Amino acid sequence: MSSKRSVMLSDTGYEKLIHKMGRLTLMGGFLASVLPPVLLWLVYGVYPPFKNLLNGFIGITAVMLPVSIVEVLTFAPILGAGAIYMSYLTGNISNIKIPSAAIALEVTDVKPSTSEGDIIANLAIAGSALAGEIILILGVILILPLSSNLNSPILKPAFEQILPALFGAIGAYYILKNWQLAIAPVSMAIIFGYLIPDLNSAVTIPICVAFSILAARLLYKKEWLKTDAGAVTDDL
Amino acid sequence: MIDYLSIANGSLFYICGIIITLLVILQAFLFIRISFREGQRCGLAKEQMFKALRVGVVTSIIPSISAVVALIAMVPVLGIPIPWIRQSIMGSTPYEFLAAGIGANSMGVHNLGGQGYTAPVFASSIWIMTLGSFWAVAIIVFFLRMLQGKYSKITGIDSKWKNTMINAAFLGVFSIFIAGPITTGGLSLLALIAGGVIMMILAFLIIKFKLDWLKEFALTLSMIGAMACVVMVTQIFG
Repeated sequence: MSSKRSVMLSDTGYEKLIHKMGRLTLMGGFLASVLPPVLLWLVYGVYPPFKNLLNGFIGITAVMLPVSIVEVLTFAPILGAGAIYMSYLTGNISNIKIPSAAIALEVTDVKPSTSEGDIIANLAIAGSALAGEIILILGVILILPLSSNLNSPILKPAFEQILPALFGAIGAYYILKNWQLAIAPVSMAIIFGYLIPDLNSAVTIPICVAFSILAARLLYKKEWLKTDAGAVTDDL
Repeated sequence: MIDYLSIANGSLFYICGIIITLLVILQAFLFIRISFREGQRCGLAKEQMFKALRVGVVTSIIPSISAVVALIAMVPVLGIPIPWIRQSIMGSTPYEFLAAGIGANSMGVHNLGGQGYTAPVFASSIWIMTLGSFWAVAIIVFFLRMLQGKYSKITGIDSKWKNTMINAAFLGVFSIFIAGPITTGGLSLLALIAGGVIMMILAFLIIKFKLDWLKEFALTLSMIGAMACVVMVTQIFG
């Protein structure tokens, strides 16, 4: 009974409807997510200078543009359109959404990448998105009374070190998984840090990302990498 | 000094959070409806479809709690509603911190919260966290339909290289945040090393005792553990 996805395309409005609704909700979600910084600017008059904002945007683009292209190319053949629109609106794709779709396919005994498989994945991911939102609401309600304690002066130095704390853990994760990949970008970044400590991140990020990808390509071609290197976001 | 937090916790941003949460819920219900209708047309049993929905809910509860733990860590730095919004949509915990850090860096500030982290720096973090997801949204809105079309050949791309490339791109930008504490030293270096050591211990425990559920929490727990080390050290030597 399982029919290939493409066969079903022509004789149903389903695919068309999914793309239409998916595009609308994803764009709507992105526009809604721009509300907080816009309100911060219009209502409170708080905003970064345009030049700094542009530098920051160049920095985040240097990593997120190549990653987004490759990720979409990875997910497009394995997930149906509905699953992709929902996953991208709510995030946590490879760590929460894809595993729950995979488990749902397994327990319902439906093959992935078929029309039936797409439906099962859609439903699992919709359930996953709903669960995520509800847990977050409960979390916020729980945190509200706690928040004044979190601002205590004893804890203050800890929160100031939140980035090093996180990136230390991420660094260790890479060392365990594929340390060879880390050598080139980390040494490059350390050299930058010592020689030109105040270099703009709009310059350092694109250079480090490009250098890291080139070095990885070389390591990959020479087969110096461990074989089972899944994307790091898999388990994070 | 942290006057931006009173703005960040304003009711206006809670309203934004409610709007965004409702949007996600609306999308989920819309897609559930469409999928149920199409599923019945393809011959799937109703029970099977309810089962899929239930599996989605159940398997996501524990991993979603890790988002709440990360949320707690963000609150003193970014307030409550904005981290709530960011965790509700697009991206993942490491992405949000990365983007917030890049936003601060572009203002010449190398930490979140604390010295020099003024209201405009906070705004810069929020802008970058938001704009960083622009590319994924744009690619999907404009190209997904074409990519999934009948004549698409994308399945042939070497998947191992794709994973390696994603890792390398992230490492390129993570390396800047790893190199920072190494060159400046002090409490930042302590937090970096502590985070790394705790992560290694957790990884060892996960493999040794097959604690799969712990995987989802390893990163957040390492981060909080490292922050606890910073508090201990500042209390003892401060």
